[in-house]
Amino acid sequence: MDSGKKTHRMSLFLLLLVLTVFPGNAWAVQAHGAPEGLYVHQLAHVFYTAALCYLIWDVRRSAFRSRGWRFLQVFCVLMVFWNMLAFTGHILAAYITSADYVSDTGYLDARLQGPFTSVKLWYYFSRLDHLFSVPSLFFLYLSMRAIYRSRCEEEEA
Amino acid sequence: MTSIPMLPTIIGDMAGSFIIIVLSFLSLRYAYLLIRSQPENFLWGFLFYFCLTLAAFSVSRAVGHLLKQILLISGYREQWRFLAPFTGGFNTLLMISLGAVTIYYHKGIEGYRAIQQKARSIKGANEQLKVAADELQKLNLHLEEMVEERTRELSASEKKFRNFFINSKDMVYFCDAKNRLVNMNASGLKMLGYSVADSPALDLADIFNNEDDLDKYFEEIKAQKFVEDLEVEFARADGTVIYVLLSATAVYDDAGEFIGCEGIAKDLTRVKTMMAQLASSEKMASVGQMAAGVAHEINTPLGVILGYAQLLMDDFPSDTDEGESLAVIERQTKACRKIVADLLKFSRQAESAREDISLNEILTDVLAVTEHSLNMDHIRVHQDLDQDLETIVGDTEKLRQVFINFINNAHHAMEEQGGGDLYVSTSNRNENKEIVVTVRDTGHGIPEKVRSNIFDPFFTTKPVGKGTGLGLSVSYGIVQEHGGSIEVESPVIDKESGETMKGTAFHVILPAAVAESYVVKE
Repeated sequence: MDSGKKTHRMSLFLLLLVLTVFPGNAWAVQAHGAPEGLYVHQLAHVFYTAALCYLIWDVRRSAFRSRGWRFLQVFCVLMVFWNMLAFTGHILAAYITSADYVSDTGYLDARLQGPFTSVKLWYYFSRLDHLFSVPSLFFLYLSMRAIYRSRCEEEEA
Repeated sequence: MTSIPMLPTIIGDMAGSFIIIVLSFLSLRYAYLLIRSQPENFLWGFLFYFCLTLAAFSVSRAVGHLLKQILLISGYREQWRFLAPFTGGFNTLLMISLGAVTIYYHKGIEGYRAIQQKARSIKGANEQLKVAADELQKLNLHLEEMVEERTRELSASEKKFRNFFINSKDMVYFCDAKNRLVNMNASGLKMLGYSVADSPALDLADIFNNEDDLDKYFEEIKAQKFVEDLEVEFARADGTVIYVLLSATAVYDDAGEFIGCEGIAKDLTRVKTMMAQLASSEKMASVGQMAAGVAHEINTPLGVILGYAQLLMDDFPSDTDEGESLAVIERQTKACRKIVADLLKFSRQAESAREDISLNEILTDVLAVTEHSLNMDHIRVHQDLDQDLETIVGDTEKLRQVFINFINNAHHAMEEQGGGDLYVSTSNRNENKEIVVTVRDTGHGIPEKVRSNIFDPFFTTKPVGKGTGLGLSVSYGIVQEHGGSIEVESPVIDKESGETMKGTAFHVILPAAVAESYVVKE
């Protein structure tokens, strides 16, 4: 390999390095504004919800009727509710400003102040999303345990 | 109420986050145990990856939330503002991953089902194959059993036919297309007088005595593919002839080519001899009846002739011509009466005494009388008399006459050749129920053509005047009268060595006194 080719390759590598380190100067790179992150997150919720709905449908279609698979369906349903609540919470969060909170001593003392609109109440409720996610995970745990035990019984039989 | 405290949401968020981490890992543990127990199961694979991703999401989200609460409680609001997009980004990423895993499950499960269907199909095919293999194995096993059974049957059949071939008392032979005898059983070889251990290579032409018989055999084999009850003569190794009843079948190969024949021959020589003897007996019986009738008819006129001749002799002195003629008439009439008496003896019309007698004594007496004249003609007498010989019931005089006849015949047969040996023997036979007396000479023997006539009355080979031809006839009649029989051998075959000896042997077989009484009792 001659020295000319080596020089060309080194120059190309340095150019790519400069473009990577300083992307703002590269015209080809699209700029992403702040709302994009929220939209992507919300789309992820939608995608996750759709996937869970599909899973429920497919489990029912596949005629998996054991206890474990029924628990998995409960998990999916609760997780769908959680997704819906989280999705709603993210939208409502945009309507809540720092002015809606009051605090005397700090973060732990923070309060959502009135007047209470449905937006505020739903927002407050959406902050309690673990009411769905924790039972949902609990049913997933029950589901995995039941399926595993069923499998063990089959093996013993 | 003008405000709602956010503290419950903060506490719920922190506690919930912690619980979610715990529950997700507990679920992951069971999913892991599932996939470990059955790694090839796609469903368990899906559940494991779903739980793994969910655990990662739970950790990401819960840690983010806990971090948020801790930083906010601690007053690091700015720091949280910096970290929030990262935890949110991770949450988003993992949530998408969860969805992707679930969607992937869709495709995966279809593939899994296809594989399962294929597996079921292969399993079904394998089961069918196994069933087919089992059936094949059974068939194979059965085939082996069948082959074994057939082999056993074949072996038994082969043994049966081999035994038949070996043990048959008749000749069994196989010959090839060129009429060479390729197999002959021991009985056949013995029948032909060949050694079983060292039998020579023979063909049919060697054993058929007459070419005409052989031609007839071939003609029938060719025409109807078998020969049935063909009476032929076989030539023995020593040149003697045996009479056999032959049945044979032509053998053809699959292409219909003649490859030989197989046959069975039964020795009829003995039967033929017996038949001849039977015929002879019948003939003798009829001749005897005729002789008895003639004798009775002639006896009366002879008595009258003799009576009148003797009356006339009283009227004419013996030195006159008439007296001499009457003496001739008387002498010849007496000779005629003797002939008539012999005829009556032959036809068993003469009266007989019934007493216990020893044949040894009779033979000793007879030999004492005849020995001198025998010695004169250089005939040596050999006696072999059984000292334990059973007695018989009969007429001493008549039996004496029988043996005198035999010895006289032997004498005549040997005197022409200037001497010889005379063997006289007695023995018990058939568990002492029979007595055999043998008188054998080394004379010229009896020609075959006259053998069947020797017991006929008036049959003689002697010159005219030398014998009446009634000697053997009378002997025959006397032996018959005693319930016995006469067997003739000429030439004589030595029973021990099997050699053929010159001369003639007369065997007189008579029932012993014990046997006779046994027969009477029966």
